[in-house]
Amino acid sequence: MPASRFTQTGNYRVRYQQDQTIFATSAEQASLIVGVLLLLALPLLLPKTLLRDVNMIMIFAVAVLGLNVTTGYTGLINIGQAAFMGVGAYATALAATRLNLPFFLAIPLGGVAGALVGTFVGLPSLRLKYLYLAVATLAFQIIFEWLVGHLPVLAQGGAISMPTVQVFGIRDSFLNHNRFWYYLILPVLVGLGLLWRNVLRTRHGRSFIAVRDNDRAAAAMGIHPGRAKLTAFMIGSFYAGIAGGLFAYFQKAVVIEDYGLHTSVQLLAMAIVGGLGSLPGSFLGPLFIVALDRFMGNASEWLGAQNIFPQGVDAATALRPLAFGLSIVLFLMFEPRGLANWWRLVRLYFKKWPYKF
Amino acid sequence: MELLPQLLLAGVVIGSIYALAALGFVLIYKSSRVINFAHGQIIATGAFIAFALTQRGLNFWLAGLIAMLITFGLGMLIERVFLRRMVGEPIISVIMVTIGLSSVIEGLIHLTPYGAGNFSFTTPAVLSGEGLSVLGTQLSRTQLAGVLTALALLGGFTYFFNKSTLGITMRAVADDQMAAMSVGTSVERVFALAWAAAALTAAAAGVILGLMSGLTLGGLAGIGLKVFPVVILGGLDSVVGAIVGGMLIGVLENLSAGYLDGLVPGGGTREVFPFIVLIAVLLLRPYGLFGTKEIERV
Repeated sequence: MPASRFTQTGNYRVRYQQDQTIFATSAEQASLIVGVLLLLALPLLLPKTLLRDVNMIMIFAVAVLGLNVTTGYTGLINIGQAAFMGVGAYATALAATRLNLPFFLAIPLGGVAGALVGTFVGLPSLRLKYLYLAVATLAFQIIFEWLVGHLPVLAQGGAISMPTVQVFGIRDSFLNHNRFWYYLILPVLVGLGLLWRNVLRTRHGRSFIAVRDNDRAAAAMGIHPGRAKLTAFMIGSFYAGIAGGLFAYFQKAVVIEDYGLHTSVQLLAMAIVGGLGSLPGSFLGPLFIVALDRFMGNASEWLGAQNIFPQGVDAATALRPLAFGLSIVLFLMFEPRGLANWWRLVRLYFKKWPYKF
Repeated sequence: MELLPQLLLAGVVIGSIYALAALGFVLIYKSSRVINFAHGQIIATGAFIAFALTQRGLNFWLAGLIAMLITFGLGMLIERVFLRRMVGEPIISVIMVTIGLSSVIEGLIHLTPYGAGNFSFTTPAVLSGEGLSVLGTQLSRTQLAGVLTALALLGGFTYFFNKSTLGITMRAVADDQMAAMSVGTSVERVFALAWAAAALTAAAAGVILGLMSGLTLGGLAGIGLKVFPVVILGGLDSVVGAIVGGMLIGVLENLSAGYLDGLVPGGGTREVFPFIVLIAVLLLRPYGLFGTKEIERV
């Protein structure tokens, strides 16, 4: 047991065993337990309208985790993450409505569909780099939107409604919808987060970083850059597919508008604001962007009522993109490492407390 | 066969606007290796400034000219405030800054009364007369004027790059920044100029497009996406490529609308065909028709 059970200052490790412990102090262990309990109790504490946003944040966090694998870790700019989400959502919808599969099979199927399509779209990455790849994913995004809009199987982009889900005798209904899905999305998010952390600790994860930092050097060291890039695309779009499946069930319907270019840009913004290539950032980014959007919606409603703007101006359509764009630009200019860096600084402060260094 | 010449002509008309839009894009990429996702929004800004000026009772031609001058300054300002800090940052950051800027500009346009509506210029008297008959199809005077203006601007810039000292300086910076700096060129000034010139051509494209097919934010900003197939086909860093690519994409788009729409349920191949061309070009010839091929050795 460490000398101080509350802070790490003053604890010296003399054996490897001590160095390898997951929890350095009992305070850390306690905070984890409190955190998990808080997460489980959250639906009981929050008002219903906010819980809806929390669910959205969690679903986006799954997609951003995937985007962080491709863009944050491997450096492949992906402006088509929403399209991969869409692939997952439509695959899930088809599996659920045509094949009558239950949701715990349909959602993973969506993930696999996303991964397959993602690997295929990632194929140009074998020859192309940086900008060209960004443009290739952008093209895929646009072709995807067009294709869905023209396929009768997919209701030509119109709404495909999802069947109602039942787990352990509890039915998803109008009354408990947000709570019901909160408890279904939370374990998926935690599980995929743990998977993310561990995949990046393997040799695949290390080869991603090597390819991002310098792919020629990586090739010289014996890493196959093409294979690393394709693996990254596969994992990233698998996450997107799962997020799409969850989103489809949560929204009760699949509509093409949810998976447009705008959503792709939003996901990229979440990854950037949270901090590229970091686990806490993948949660903080969606939290920030969804909260900002919500706040600007409310603020512009209030401002609109004050008659400040000239006739014919809808404050919400003006202020929301303005705040969204400004937050991206300001983060990139002043805090390129994103909110994850602030989180790191806060943690560092408590680690060193009561000393400053 | 009435259809083919009609499609070809319509393609050339819209293609010249694509070329003009792509020119601005190439100008920025050529000098500073920045892909500008906000180009469509700058096009819209230029068009709406001109429109706002004509609303105040200004002559159309004068309004267009002033709009181009204002966006010239605006481009310089954007480079100065946002892009200058990003020199040396990873490409993803630079791209995201321009994506963020596109959102900011769109929000700002929505703050004016021009964000949501559908407007059109009052056509100047010179352009409202009888059109010209080419290859058995009618070409209106506005279309003709648009193509001629676009070609004049494109020709002017090509001449500028090949003959003037400033143009050669910009090419030198594009070629090798380090070398250009070491012989005393101000790279910063070149970047600012490239952004300013790009914004100027964007405003011109916006005004021409507004004159031909009306002013909506979505329609004008949408040109920003059409630029990608054009520049990938022509080559990201080639002015000639922008011109040829613009015309080719314009023509291909119209041909697909004319001949493929009947085969596809729902039609609308016009929107997607350029992007299919884009993917094909990326797979076969990533540096485009006229782009510089980058050679890598491990």
